[in-house]
Amino acid sequence: MTISITVNVVERSFDVQPDEVLLDVLRREGYLEVKGSCHSGDCGACTVLLDGRPVASCLTLAAKADGHAVTTVRGIGDQAHPHALQDAFLKNGAVQCGYCAPGAITSAKALLDENPDPTEEEVRLAMDSNYCRCTGYEQQVEAVLYAAAQLRKGDAK
Amino acid sequence: MIRVTIGVVCKEALMGRITEYYHATSLEDAFAKAQQLRPAAAYVGGGVELILRRNPEITTLIDLSRCGLDYITASGEGIEIGSQTTLTTISRSADIRKYAGGSLAWWAGRIAQNNLRDMITVGGVIGRNQPWNDVVPHLIALGAQVRLFDGAERIMPLAGYIEAKQPGVIIKGVLLPAGNAGSSGFLWRFTRTLQDISTLHFSALVSSDGKFMTAANLVFAGRPGHAALYPRLSEGLVGKSLSHETFARVAEMAPDVVEVGTDLRATGEFRRELVRAAIANLEEHMTGVAQ
Repeated sequence: MTISITVNVVERSFDVQPDEVLLDVLRREGYLEVKGSCHSGDCGACTVLLDGRPVASCLTLAAKADGHAVTTVRGIGDQAHPHALQDAFLKNGAVQCGYCAPGAITSAKALLDENPDPTEEEVRLAMDSNYCRCTGYEQQVEAVLYAAAQLRKGDAK
Repeated sequence: MIRVTIGVVCKEALMGRITEYYHATSLEDAFAKAQQLRPAAAYVGGGVELILRRNPEITTLIDLSRCGLDYITASGEGIEIGSQTTLTTISRSADIRKYAGGSLAWWAGRIAQNNLRDMITVGGVIGRNQPWNDVVPHLIALGAQVRLFDGAERIMPLAGYIEAKQPGVIIKGVLLPAGNAGSSGFLWRFTRTLQDISTLHFSALVSSDGKFMTAANLVFAGRPGHAALYPRLSEGLVGKSLSHETFARVAEMAPDVVEVGTDLRATGEFRRELVRAAIANLEEHMTGVAQ
């Protein structure tokens, strides 16, 4: 079957199997910034935004995304034009091996889009789907709070 | 090479062969399609459970997301939640946050994890009703009913629906009765983390006038048993004073009343102790005094 998805603001059509998950489709189509790990919705590495809300792409049927908008971490910002969250992750030591970072930043983006001034508890709740085996989470929480502050001050995009 | 072949065969057997994904445009359309194909068709809510635990007999998935079932409406009769409403949407609803002390909204925002709460639908969790489900027991405690569609609409208590198991019927919505507006909902899950499957789940809805309890629904669930109401325990609270003595009496009898199932995933004896602890936690919730 053919589905149409807007990926990072670009309209795309993909041929997919009826039971194929979004993660597999995105990676097959070259969106390698979306990471696969547990394939059971536990780790959060594959998190993307579906119409602005974070979802585990490993458990999202690609057919269900037909007609919707998907944003990957590269749609949030890239090396040339990093988002404040991406800068904050680097500045706060929230990235070590980096495998979880795309999913973690994506979850954080969904939070800040809705709540520009979150509490630490709200940050932890919004990122409770994202495992990180390197940083111990503290730096990630600090990074999100730092990015939120930067965005509120208007110092970052 | 041999290992690769076996791997492919096993994956195929596990996943089944989904040959069609059908976007239904209305309830009538979805139901007709399911009738035409049953038992080889399944309705898709969030789709999470379908992917995690595939049924090899299913060849067609019927998506309900374009059937207008993503809604929350409040009226004098109560609140109705469309079956395709996600846990995140429920957690953010101003009406549900006010309902029965906000217990359903609070838990809907914490059950599972963030990137699943935006996928999991209330209809999906009811339809699947896995033993580790935390939403269904709480809805039963709240006295929820389900609006069903099988060619025509009808309403029945959620507890009855769970018992009856009606394959092919579409869950259109969940109704929360209006009478609970001043009651207090309570949910206690015994888990290591919020994401963990609960060893024991306890939900309650208790009404009181400040001195006496006027109504109570007590539900226990947890692997391996499904959610069940325990009217004998409710009787121990209704009409009784809001006191330590009342809860202590119920806590004493509860371990013998609640069916804790087998010794799977914690012993029955351990789970019985958890039943006692659950009542103690309800007491703290209702009186504000920890025992």
